[in-house]
Amino acid sequence: MNKHYWGLWTLLLAALSFFVVLSFWQDGIKVGGIDIKTGTFVRDLKNTLAIKIDSATTDSAKVKAWRAPMDTTAKNILFIGDSMLEGLAPRLAKYCDKNGHKLVEVIWYSSSTLCWGETARLTELINKYHPNYIFVCLGANELYVPDIKNARRPYLKKMLAEMGDIPYVWIGPPNWDKDTGINDLLARELGKGCFYLSANDKFERSRDGAHPTRESAHKWMDRVIKWIDANGAHPFRLDDPGEGIARASRIVVYQPPV
Amino acid sequence: MMLNAIDLTQLLSLFSFNRDEPMLFTSGLFWVLFLVFLPVYALLKSQRHKMMIFVIAFSLFFFYKSSGWFFLLLVATSFIDWWVAQFIDSSKNRTERRIALTVSLVLSLSVLLFFKYSNFVIWNINELINGNFQPLDLILPVGVSFYTFRTISYVVDVYKGKIQPTDDYIDYLFFLSYFPCLVAGPIVRARDFMPQLQENKPATREMIYGGLFLVMLGILKKAVFADYIAQYNNIAFGNPSGYTGFELLMAVLGFTMQIYCDFSGYSDMAIGLGGIMGFDLGINFNYPYRSLNVTEFWHRWHITLSTWLRDYVYIPLGGNRKGKVRQHINLMVTMLLGGLWHGAAWTFVVWGAGHGIALCVHKLSKPWLDRIESTPVTRFFSWLMTFSFVAFLWIFFRANSFHAADQVIRGILTDFEWAYLPVFLARRSTWCIMLAIIFGLHFVPRHVWDRMRDWFINVHWAVKLVIFIVLIQLVLQFASATVQPFLYSQF
Repeated sequence: MNKHYWGLWTLLLAALSFFVVLSFWQDGIKVGGIDIKTGTFVRDLKNTLAIKIDSATTDSAKVKAWRAPMDTTAKNILFIGDSMLEGLAPRLAKYCDKNGHKLVEVIWYSSSTLCWGETARLTELINKYHPNYIFVCLGANELYVPDIKNARRPYLKKMLAEMGDIPYVWIGPPNWDKDTGINDLLARELGKGCFYLSANDKFERSRDGAHPTRESAHKWMDRVIKWIDANGAHPFRLDDPGEGIARASRIVVYQPPV
Repeated sequence: MMLNAIDLTQLLSLFSFNRDEPMLFTSGLFWVLFLVFLPVYALLKSQRHKMMIFVIAFSLFFFYKSSGWFFLLLVATSFIDWWVAQFIDSSKNRTERRIALTVSLVLSLSVLLFFKYSNFVIWNINELINGNFQPLDLILPVGVSFYTFRTISYVVDVYKGKIQPTDDYIDYLFFLSYFPCLVAGPIVRARDFMPQLQENKPATREMIYGGLFLVMLGILKKAVFADYIAQYNNIAFGNPSGYTGFELLMAVLGFTMQIYCDFSGYSDMAIGLGGIMGFDLGINFNYPYRSLNVTEFWHRWHITLSTWLRDYVYIPLGGNRKGKVRQHINLMVTMLLGGLWHGAAWTFVVWGAGHGIALCVHKLSKPWLDRIESTPVTRFFSWLMTFSFVAFLWIFFRANSFHAADQVIRGILTDFEWAYLPVFLARRSTWCIMLAIIFGLHFVPRHVWDRMRDWFINVHWAVKLVIFIVLIQLVLQFASATVQPFLYSQF
């Protein structure tokens, strides 16, 4: 064998071994304040190995009914997300008024699963407002994130862990262009009946081309409510309040992340 | 316990066709497989026939991983065209030779047209007659545009007597399926490649490590620069109405550099892999944004494509041999087809037409332009005009529709404020730095790159390893780095 090929092969092998070893630190390594990212070799291998176990779990889980019965009690609802809440929340507030629920709306402009996942803001909000139902609308700021499944899965999982057993509905982003996988990631990671896919809905857009107009956002919220009633994992009382909007009991606004 | 849980089907799925995850040179799986490929190749290199069979098997697997069973289409095309070329060479009857050539061209182009343009035709019919024909659920076999052009050039060259056809089908299958050129070129000609294959010279140290240097340069361009700056460009082009003129102009500049890094980066990787395997695949991009006019741009941009279009479209149409008017018509037809080759949409046709018009205008005004004295000032303005024009046309190449292209252009012309500059720089500083680096590197003289390559070839193995590791770490760092989607300066 040509000795230079031998040299190149050992070089590639040494580099691969180096990155495989580093990938055991799945959350990256901090060196002098710098976050050193690691590869996904070990994670990918674990995922492959875990498939059978997951399938077994899923099979037994099939026995359990995934849909809870209609809950008619008054809810303490926390609605968090990005700027899309400007259009959605007032319409949800109208439903809350009609059905005796209390709504706290938290808009964090320009936020994403990354922003929420790397801070403790969601836990703080849960501790402060004690919701027994959560709405989330996030993903519009992540339509084009590369390698999103690996990049954002940990943050998404952290958010889900923070929500714990509290029933939730995640409203997917209103795509204005093809995404790089945020909807697929949400569909895979969120519980059955907990994710409303908005990507296929039709919207009238405001001047910025991204946000639905107020009227279109209100119809969007109506569709989500109908979907919860028919397909949601945790349906609760949301009788039609007629036309119009209302104001949430409390509105909290956070500035865009820097 | 863990081993018991291994699902063999899941493990095998890593090696089976996945529509969403084609195997590219930037994927980890490719490099793991290349690590297995390399020692076997090195051992077989001196035994030409065995080496070819092994490389063909790897290439076909590479094709299968990205396009599924369509790799059989490549095998069929290669067999038909190998046989047709043999027939053309052996036949003395001109009519027979012509018929054989026509059959080969029709077959090759039919496959290309069917997979690439069927839905475009359906869309146009729907638009014209207000119809409701459903688009076909087609997978575009990876690299079909590239290998079709390579097989056409082979058959045409044999027909014209420029090359002798190969007697050995394995030689031809090797040429057409050769995995470094399969996905995105370069469109290497048989007349340049076949003699190297026949000779099968051993790869030298310069070829192997010079190849690795090029592969690394390609990875830097594609996986670090292009993929990172693409994020903002995608956001802005995906929703132009949400951005100011300044932001849109930055997206246009960003896309101008992104497409160069993307195309040329992938070409560098292909040429570098060819070098590692002991084959010289030529050059495909020669600092195109240094061009002082559009004609020069096309001598520097995607060279193997532009020379292919020249040799197999422009010259057969008559080139410049049938008068000025015909020359300009030929030029326009060539560039329109070149535009359509890049993608099945009218925006690509407009992009090609824009370049065609510019080439005609440059040819017409050349006598006048030649009289202008060449000074640093005139050269600078020539460069600025050329660069701006090329960047302007990229808007049509990138935009999803004419409406989106119109929004980008309108935004730049009517909603442009320098006031956004400091906010943009502050919020998207990494993006700006990266754009500046790409721009700067583009103007580094060639001899500096050559010296760097020579230095890399001769430097100690351990230094090479460190450089390689640093590069891959950069890829990992930037793979998950994101660009701020909205400035929200109004809040």
